[in-house]
Amino acid sequence: MTQSARKGVGARLRRKEDERFLRGRGDYVGNIRMVGMLDVAFVRSPVAHARIRAVRKSPGLESVVFTIDDLTGVKPIVANSALKGFKSAPQHVLARDKVRQVGELIAMCVAPSRAEAEDIATQVELDLEELPAVVDMVAAIEPGGPRVHEEWSDNVVLETLVDDDLSTIRANAAIKVQRRIRTARQCMSPMEGRGVVAHYDRRLDQLTVHSAAQMPHINRAGLSECLGIDQGRIRVVAPDVGGGFGYKGILLPEEVCLGWLAMMLGRPVRWLEDRFEQLAANANCREHYYDITGYATADGRLLAIDCEAIVDSGAYSSYPFSACLEAAQVSSILPGPYRMDGYRCRTWSAATNKPPILPYRGVARTGVCFALELVVDAIARAAGKEPYEVRLACLVPPEAMPFVNITKKFFDSGDYPEALRRAVRVLDLPKWRERQKRGEPDGRRVGVGLAIFCEQGAHGTSVYHGWGIPMVPGHEQCTARLSPDGVLELRIGAHSHGQGLETTLAQVAHEILGVDPDNVRLIHGDTALTPYSTGTWGSRCMVMSGGAVATACKEIEKRVRAIAGKLMEVAGDDLVLEAGRVRVAGTDRSMSLAEVAHVWYRAPQLLPADVDPAGLETTAGYKAVRDSGTFSYACHACAVAVDTELGTIEILDYVVVEDGGTLVNPMIVDGQVFGGTAQGIGTALYEEMPFDAQGQPLASTLADYMLPGATEVPTIRIEHIETPSPLSYFGQKGIGEGGAIAPPAAITNAVNDALADLGVEMLESPITPRRLLTALAAARARRGAG
Amino acid sequence: MTLSLSVNGTPVEAQVEPRTSLADALREHLMLTGTNVGCEHGVCGACTVLIDGAPARSCITLAVACDGADVRTIEGLDEDPVATALREAFAAEHALQCGYCTPGMLVTARDIVLRLPDAGEPRVREELAGNLCRCTGYVGIVRAILRVLAERKTAG
Ligand code: FES
Ligand code: FES
Repeated sequence: MTQSARKGVGARLRRKEDERFLRGRGDYVGNIRMVGMLDVAFVRSPVAHARIRAVRKSPGLESVVFTIDDLTGVKPIVANSALKGFKSAPQHVLARDKVRQVGELIAMCVAPSRAEAEDIATQVELDLEELPAVVDMVAAIEPGGPRVHEEWSDNVVLETLVDDDLSTIRANAAIKVQRRIRTARQCMSPMEGRGVVAHYDRRLDQLTVHSAAQMPHINRAGLSECLGIDQGRIRVVAPDVGGGFGYKGILLPEEVCLGWLAMMLGRPVRWLEDRFEQLAANANCREHYYDITGYATADGRLLAIDCEAIVDSGAYSSYPFSACLEAAQVSSILPGPYRMDGYRCRTWSAATNKPPILPYRGVARTGVCFALELVVDAIARAAGKEPYEVRLACLVPPEAMPFVNITKKFFDSGDYPEALRRAVRVLDLPKWRERQKRGEPDGRRVGVGLAIFCEQGAHGTSVYHGWGIPMVPGHEQCTARLSPDGVLELRIGAHSHGQGLETTLAQVAHEILGVDPDNVRLIHGDTALTPYSTGTWGSRCMVMSGGAVATACKEIEKRVRAIAGKLMEVAGDDLVLEAGRVRVAGTDRSMSLAEVAHVWYRAPQLLPADVDPAGLETTAGYKAVRDSGTFSYACHACAVAVDTELGTIEILDYVVVEDGGTLVNPMIVDGQVFGGTAQGIGTALYEEMPFDAQGQPLASTLADYMLPGATEVPTIRIEHIETPSPLSYFGQKGIGEGGAIAPPAAITNAVNDALADLGVEMLESPITPRRLLTALAAARARRGAG
Repeated sequence: MTLSLSVNGTPVEAQVEPRTSLADALREHLMLTGTNVGCEHGVCGACTVLIDGAPARSCITLAVACDGADVRTIEGLDEDPVATALREAFAAEHALQCGYCTPGMLVTARDIVLRLPDAGEPRVREELAGNLCRCTGYVGIVRAILRVLAERKTAG
């Protein structure tokens, strides 16, 4: 047991993957070298919306430049939803007839080096007839304007409506606050960009695509659909991947292009996205608009939410999540962790001439939490209450768990009010209220802000099949093999790109088989070597892959017991598996796992004739007790100082109280929360991809697109509540995304708390100095006028 | 052009074009892929290496400008005592997730430790401002560097 406490579920075990990264031996897609490999550079659209009159290859370069006309037989990427009214927007992997966003691929150029390929790209002549661009999502859904897809009747990809009759509440609510809230478009910006190396294996008649991908099996399915070859002829390998966050959870047009090119040329080809391409062509997330009204009693208890929301979905529908997933999700998750009597929400997915939307860490939750929590604070101000008081009045209480909320979400477990109370206590609210009253010596204004949310993770078939998108998650599988030397190999179809699955899944195996984590090897990210999986997204791996590994190890355990029992002439049940050995309970008679495996593989003559021939390798599947998802939750609380002269904001303290259920590795969980929170701070204060009226992205380097650095992120203080989920194998809950959800809401609430008596209320993220100073000036003008 | 320089203590020659960056020369010509590139325009610090002992961004340094220089990359820090202490601290403090920023981060961290033995947290954070990490929120990185600074103090 002490062994388990040290290395199994719950241990702060150091990561197995660190050694190679710390010595510069990580192997990312950009490190792959193949004989005869050529580099690809793309010609991308310089404008947001245009008809293509012609793409002219310079004489002499016809054989190294490819347009859609060359890619015979290649089908467009189609990611439709079966939801009623969804409008389809097939995406040609190289533009045909029209371009609909800056950065859209038009031609592919190939040369021995990237520099030479880029030289060729500059010689491709584009004849484009510019069309008016659809840039603003609110204007986009108004009738009569220009359309992104001419064959559509408007720019609405999908409209959804959840409609309660709110008339009684509207008539009786003492407090009504209505706000218009916006979040900026962002670029997820993992430090490693996307990248693809494709080659064709003639012996296997197989296309191998190495790609910095989160969901290799999904990419394989998509490649098969677009290239028109069966899945058996495609192998997708995701090597070490330098961060995902959703950015790499997509079938890329570049992957399809390079797959075709590798087969056509019979040579390995490579494309590595550079930062300019990433920022100019792929700022693809987070842009939401809410017109939201909260109704409450006089003392601030939330009665109902009425909301109209728009999500800027961009020009196409990304595979597999589609253009409507996020807006549709808004309507199902907007009520957050609260109880309420009435709820109405209408959403639009708006097509614009911008990059197609992708779900970024937290998906719609970051925007939803921002809108809802800003409104809850506005209600608190209207009621003259502390923001935590009005929240306590309507959070789902622990005694109501499991709880089915107003949109039929099944909250599995937890104590939401305790997370809130604890965050308020750890932050020390009275201390900050006192300091706020005193005033800062340097004239800055102090404010305190809170935000609380719950996060559905690892949700499966019942949640997803209704969307009717190209991917529906089902069971998760693991292949486990105790090899002849006693090393345990685990194969899973999901992928680890920073989450540390090589370590945490070894901990799971240790928990069940007693095998030392050092003797566990995780094989993942390769469709040829692993069972099918929808991959890494939705905070699902620790629950789903963890469950699959546990189930497979249980089966191996059974077989080890049977074999060792025969060898030691005791019943299998009398054996204990610990510390890499199989021991007869209550004695010190034992043999190592390696010895058991050795007999099985290499000395079978020692086994009795009636031994089960199934062996020490198995593939086992896992499905949660119910697949509605685990609900982790967290309360973020922070104190900020606002400089009203400079418009700058400093985070003075930041507290997270989080419930991830049973923590498999608390060190790694903290790392996920730190990292997510840092990204959320970026969303709150720094990161924004502005577009001009022609649809040109205006931040094309990391000097303009501001990622938070070490001076912008404070030391975040984390506390855990551990309420095991009744739905998962060990009680673990998905928490990978949570950190990125609440910071924009918590920080903005703190800023609004600091500036309340100046009549300033920020309703748009990020709160840049310019936005803040503009709001301060407007409030001054209002006061002057009033 | 022929470029001659010392990389990780070994004299090497490479044929490079005048426009080739040091990062590309290391990665594509010398097959030293430990140095990652994150932005190729001098902001993220992923490509940080030592040129004549000082940290520099290999993505905006032309390879030809390094003729005759002494370049050290992450691959050349395997035996370095400060880098060894930092590796230990980075693992203990969970200062890396995807590992992409890590080689550049270690080169910068080593420089901080050697140059600023008395640095406290605010100074360490300031010094790290030129190295972006998208995964860790910097908490573990800052702690790891402070841990090595403290260890070196106790060790005298
Ligand atoms: S790659 Fe050199 S600073 Fe970013
Ligand atoms: S560990 Fe991924 S960027 Fe730093």
